[in-house]
Amino acid sequence: MPKTPLVAVVDDDEAIREALCDLMMVTGLGCSTFDSAPAFLNDNAPKDFDCLITDVRMPGMSGLDLLERMRARGSDLPVIVLTSVLDSSARAKAFELGAQAWLTKPVADDALLDQLKAAIGAEDWPGEPGH
Amino acid sequence: MAGRAGALSPALPDEPAVPVQSAPLYVAARASEPDVADFASESVIIFDIEGAVHYWNPASEALYGWPALTMIGRGIGHLSTRSENEREHWRMLLQEGTWQGVVSRRTPSGIHIAVDIRQYVRFAQDGTPRDVIEYGRQSLSEGAIEGADWHIPDRLMAASWEIDVSASAPLIAAIARQRNEVGVDNEAQLNARYTELVKAARIVNVNERTVRLVGGNRGRDLMIGQPVAGFWPLESRATLGELIVDAMTGEIEDATYRQQMPSDGILRDPLVTVWRTETPGRIYAAVNGTVDDDRSYIYLRASEARYRKLVNHMPIALWQVDASHMGRIYNDIRAMGVTDFAAYLDEHPDLVELAATTVRVTDINRAAIQMFGGNSPLDLMRPVGYLFTVNRAALRNVMIGRFNGQEGHAEVTKVQTFDGRLLDVRMSVTYPKILAELDVTIFSFEDVTERLSMEAELRQLQADFTHAARISTLGELTTSIAHEINQPLAAIVTNAETSLRWLSRDDPNVEKVKALTARIAASGRRASDIVQHIRGMASKRQPERSAIDLNEIVQESLIFIRHEIESQSIAITTNLARALPHTMGDRIQLQQVVVNLLINSVQAVEAQAKGKREICIGTQLTEDGALAFTLRDTGPGIRPDDIDRIFEGFFTTKEAGMGIGLAICQSIIAEHGGSITASNHPDGGAQFRFVIPVESPDGSA
Repeated sequence: MPKTPLVAVVDDDEAIREALCDLMMVTGLGCSTFDSAPAFLNDNAPKDFDCLITDVRMPGMSGLDLLERMRARGSDLPVIVLTSVLDSSARAKAFELGAQAWLTKPVADDALLDQLKAAIGAEDWPGEPGH
Repeated sequence: MAGRAGALSPALPDEPAVPVQSAPLYVAARASEPDVADFASESVIIFDIEGAVHYWNPASEALYGWPALTMIGRGIGHLSTRSENEREHWRMLLQEGTWQGVVSRRTPSGIHIAVDIRQYVRFAQDGTPRDVIEYGRQSLSEGAIEGADWHIPDRLMAASWEIDVSASAPLIAAIARQRNEVGVDNEAQLNARYTELVKAARIVNVNERTVRLVGGNRGRDLMIGQPVAGFWPLESRATLGELIVDAMTGEIEDATYRQQMPSDGILRDPLVTVWRTETPGRIYAAVNGTVDDDRSYIYLRASEARYRKLVNHMPIALWQVDASHMGRIYNDIRAMGVTDFAAYLDEHPDLVELAATTVRVTDINRAAIQMFGGNSPLDLMRPVGYLFTVNRAALRNVMIGRFNGQEGHAEVTKVQTFDGRLLDVRMSVTYPKILAELDVTIFSFEDVTERLSMEAELRQLQADFTHAARISTLGELTTSIAHEINQPLAAIVTNAETSLRWLSRDDPNVEKVKALTARIAASGRRASDIVQHIRGMASKRQPERSAIDLNEIVQESLIFIRHEIESQSIAITTNLARALPHTMGDRIQLQQVVVNLLINSVQAVEAQAKGKREICIGTQLTEDGALAFTLRDTGPGIRPDDIDRIFEGFFTTKEAGMGIGLAICQSIIAEHGGSITASNHPDGGAQFRFVIPVESPDGSA
């Protein structure tokens, strides 16, 4: 049995975190949520995440800073940026740091899941549950 | 109104009860002869061809002792010892045109004096006799010193009164009976009844001197028909009453009765003489004395004329009102133990109506006539009700002020003028001093219609300006606001799509869908709340006061600014005091202040590249029970030169700033009765603090 892919969600807005988590669940993905970038970085039990979804504007540390730190640590975890920010320079910076995708809120579920599927790989993607 | 202007009758427009019989006398007095003889040292008398005195100069008063008032319109025969010959003498005079000789005439003190007189008939153009002019001086053979009386001393010009006591016949009779009784209290009782008699006595006519001495600014027209007591010095009212009884009950018809009165501040050692007139029920009174003033009489007259002119030309509208009878009613009510007069008036609204219809305006100035659009002073010399047609409550307040013994009362009220204009006026009332001789209340009205409408326009302008500033602030915050609304919308979209996925499975998970739907609703409400707040800030509205919680206002303000703060990686610390009392205020305007101060700090902190990026805000209850909001940032602080100007309009250090934000903050806080200050923190950064007093929602401070 293939392992369930695990997605990390970093967003300061609780409603967004819960909504994304539920979407992962219905898709058959595992999900862990963090209310800030430091909370993710300082996670005491680093899990074997397959993908990270992060907001950009957050108190304390921004999503881009988080991406920068991860790359500095040598992590090549696929990162999907999900934000309300329309700033093109921030978007360019994200791609420069190797972001997988830049999606704006509100996001269509298909668009997000397509990007997750690309990040995780079709072979690890869960089958259609219940179908 | 117009029809009344030419009438000479002193009857006031609203008082049919005023006796009209005084009118002919008044007309006769008006038509008196040339003023040139007023200053002659010789007696100058003008008779009509029937022998009735037409003019009687002051020297005649001095010579014979009879005031002009008592002589005008009458013959002189009753003063003569040979009155039976008078008719014959008169016929001869008219025939011959002139006569010269010595006559003996009676003075009020009863002695007869010999007078050298010359009489000349003056003829009309058609040759018929017009009148007779008589010159007279005391006969030298009688031992008078020549030239001694060439100047008529002031004390000899009597202040004369004709007084009607016909309504008091029963009282006079009662007093006459009581005089014969003996008793300890009798004198006090008698004095009280004498005073009562003077109150009931009405003025039929007075001479110029009386008007000058006690008429105040009112003039003869308004003295006629009034109670004598209103003008007679308080200390000597009983004396006058006693003399009236003497004269009315005396056996001899022509007898005069006199008494020295106490000096009363008007005349020094005045001597009052009273005698009966031919008209039943009336008496004459003549008061002689020197004006009790170190200044000369002429000077006094000039100064009084100047004063009258000054009052008349004052640009402020003035009313003089006689509310003496209300003062007595208030005394009676006080004696009943009433202390809360407002409550008493609520139970007796008719008392306000009584004042409106019986308290008379006794004098007014030119500005008052202009303000009310009257044609003549008489239009305004009516009961005061017309001043309070729009706002009766103002009259009630005036009454309460007097009852409570205030020195004056002032309020802004509305009046309607005779030509229908509605004016905003500032009314100031000065009450008579207790125990003052004359009970005179002064009203002044200042037209503030224009000022009030200007103030209303200014308020509107300020409201518009404040609104414009809010819109401008919202403009600066669009990114933040968009983010705030987008967050719940994003959650809603994702939750809805997830629900659809649960539903489209072979085994639809209804429990999951229920939970997600509940979250959708919650996020929807959150978005709606944010929209409400923005709508409040954006709406164009008049300031409105409601019960507010300062902490709530601070938290709501953060909604607008939170994203701005987070995106700039600024740490915000809030330290809100617990259990702050609510106060009355405008929620949106106070939010505007907090948001403005926060934006200011965010921009200040943002501008500096290095150092801590921190804003601390808090609320406190001050020692004296007011609400305070404080804010401190770690920005560069305020330049010392700018601290004093920072709240001025159009002061800004920002390139794109209008410089209205802080000025509006200050005006909003000032409108809430509070103050706002700016300073630099010793450890760097700017700090702002505003304090507003607590006004509890039930209205008490």
